[in-house]
Amino acid sequence: MTTLTEAVRTTATGEKKRRATRMLNRGSRAQSTYYWMVWPALIAFAAFHTLPMIIGIFFSFTNYAGYGEWNFVGVANYLNLFRDDRVLQAYGFSFLFAIVATILTNVISLTIAMGLNAKIRARNFWRGVYFVPYVLAILVIGYVFQFLFSNSLPKILSGIPLFAENILTNPDWAWTAIVALAVWQACAFSIIIYLAGLQTIPGELYEAASLDGAKPWRQFRSITFPLISAFFTINVVLSLKGFLQVFDPIISLTNGGPGTSTESVTMLIFRGGFSGGEFAYQTANAVVFFIVITIVSLLQFRVLQRREADFS
Amino acid sequence: MRSRTIRAVAAGVGVIALTAGLSGCGTSAEGEVTTLNFFQYKGEALEDFNLIIEQFEAENPDIDVVQNQVADSETAIRTLLVKDRAPDVITLNANASFGQLAKAGVFYDFSDEPVLETINPAVQEILADLGTADDEVNGLGYVNNANGIIYNRAIFAEQGIEVPETWDELIAVCEQLQAAGISPFAATLAESWTVMPSWNAIGAYAAQDGFFDEMREEGDTVGADSPVSFEKDFADTMDRQLQLFGYAQDGYRGASYDDGSAIFANGEAAMMMQGIWALSPVKNINPDIDAAIFPYPVPENPDDRLLVSGVDVVVTMAKDSPHQAEAKRFIEFMFRPDIVEQFAASQTMIPAVDGAALSDDPALQSVKPYFDAGRITGFIDHQVPPAIPLVGVVQQAVFDQDGGPALRTLDNEWRKVAARTIPVTED
Repeated sequence: MTTLTEAVRTTATGEKKRRATRMLNRGSRAQSTYYWMVWPALIAFAAFHTLPMIIGIFFSFTNYAGYGEWNFVGVANYLNLFRDDRVLQAYGFSFLFAIVATILTNVISLTIAMGLNAKIRARNFWRGVYFVPYVLAILVIGYVFQFLFSNSLPKILSGIPLFAENILTNPDWAWTAIVALAVWQACAFSIIIYLAGLQTIPGELYEAASLDGAKPWRQFRSITFPLISAFFTINVVLSLKGFLQVFDPIISLTNGGPGTSTESVTMLIFRGGFSGGEFAYQTANAVVFFIVITIVSLLQFRVLQRREADFS
Repeated sequence: MRSRTIRAVAAGVGVIALTAGLSGCGTSAEGEVTTLNFFQYKGEALEDFNLIIEQFEAENPDIDVVQNQVADSETAIRTLLVKDRAPDVITLNANASFGQLAKAGVFYDFSDEPVLETINPAVQEILADLGTADDEVNGLGYVNNANGIIYNRAIFAEQGIEVPETWDELIAVCEQLQAAGISPFAATLAESWTVMPSWNAIGAYAAQDGFFDEMREEGDTVGADSPVSFEKDFADTMDRQLQLFGYAQDGYRGASYDDGSAIFANGEAAMMMQGIWALSPVKNINPDIDAAIFPYPVPENPDDRLLVSGVDVVVTMAKDSPHQAEAKRFIEFMFRPDIVEQFAASQTMIPAVDGAALSDDPALQSVKPYFDAGRITGFIDHQVPPAIPLVGVVQQAVFDQDGGPALRTLDNEWRKVAARTIPVTED
């Protein structure tokens, strides 16, 4: 847990750490063993990630269908993307979904993390329980949730029309069921990060605050939240990035339906590119989406880091 | 030292990958046994094809046929074709993807093969509509399915109902069943694809006379003002489809395909808007069900009714197979009436070979007249570019009980796909 804590801390105190490492290294060259530890990962990453991505970018300027002959078509694919309302709708869905799911995940997991950090009975047992969703495969859970939504809930909540008629087949509300599944699963990991953050806060601070007469809410606002803000940043950035790329929960629950009402960008890329036979067009979509996610993540880091407190 | 180890490991992995890929290919030499690589897409037909291969090899000891049953056959065949490792004999489902491959000119031209003469011309017409390289014949229809309204003959007899021959009669049947407390249709909206059989069958009438040829010609000008468009020509189709879904059982919006099969199998609904393939899950639940099929009675004149049928298995071979003579011998054997009969009966399909008898399954017998008279037509969704989210759009229309927006969406998608599809120019 300490390594994770430190890794997160560096987002706040990166500059200092970097200088320290440089000082340690001066004079003695690192052993070649260390290079051998680094190279395989780098080569594998380049071969299986960077290279395919560059090839993908190349094909986004062609009319390649995934097989057979192809020509260069310039930026035609990119221009057509902006005229395609199905693409715009998918972006709308992805962002709505990601924002709602990010807020819910962080609120819920921060609350649970604080509970798990308090001196409750069987604390380690509860910590284990809340980590279980992270271990389970999302497709498996997805099918369990699908059964819940389409068979169990209609019987249990038969008084509420929305649930009685299988919420997954409701074009306006099916997305909330996907949010429920995604948040349920994502909370496990966020809780772990928040717990790590909460454990770094020295207990004396709370003692001093309560002597000064600070109520729990005031303690949370003035001590807890500012001191875990680095963890808050990393959690928000990671969850928004992850939720923007939502795929498996949709596949297992609605498969993009009813109609195309729960079609995310990643799902559109997958469907249109592979079964739709528009490989090059959807690759262009993927390139645009990659740029969008990068920009959103960088923006978040800038905005959120400015608010972080540093007590070390 | 270490880099050499890594290289050796990499080479090892490469060799394993290559041999795994090549193991399907055969070798041939004079006077020896020729190995034919047989690409087979249908998982449930594995045993039936093994039987055919056994029979063939008994008669032809100089040929060894190796069946490769592949999951996700469409991706697999594309990969093989791109890498010039085409199998010798290929079976595929005759859908839009098969048409695309045929147009790309990767399959053999069967125009001058005698075996072509034995196949029902209406079946070959369905294949030709999917797409061919120039005027070639790039595939041979083997067995067909039938898509219509499946009905429970016992319930119809009990209620004294005859098979409806016009639309008004069909609606009257629905009303009568409803009055008797039986759900007319078992529908399953939770699974989007289950709205397509009825859309295909009713829409087939609107798509006669070259509707899709004109749509392709119009391309990015399709819209409310163009000579043909979904909005203009399919409004009636959508209305009729929505009307039938109005007679579905309670809770059909959230029902899955399995739910629908169970409802029909247990006699709680009298009809299903499904093809012959739906009878197999139904018979798993109730083996004694007495079911048959009739076509959607859309036209005024009952004699104009058409049965929608897809070529479930199309047989073809690669253009430049090194074992063409042997492959042809195997294909000719497969199309022998007794062999195709045996296969079709086991798969509950209709053999495409003229003169091959159908099994005495009542469902098959009920559609036989349409095949004999050549009154069959293909699935129209095979004519819609796969980049259009057709299934979702039709499902949405049935959910909303409103076909107008769906048809406008289809026109809009057609326009966009046409505008952004830039054909490959040869240089």
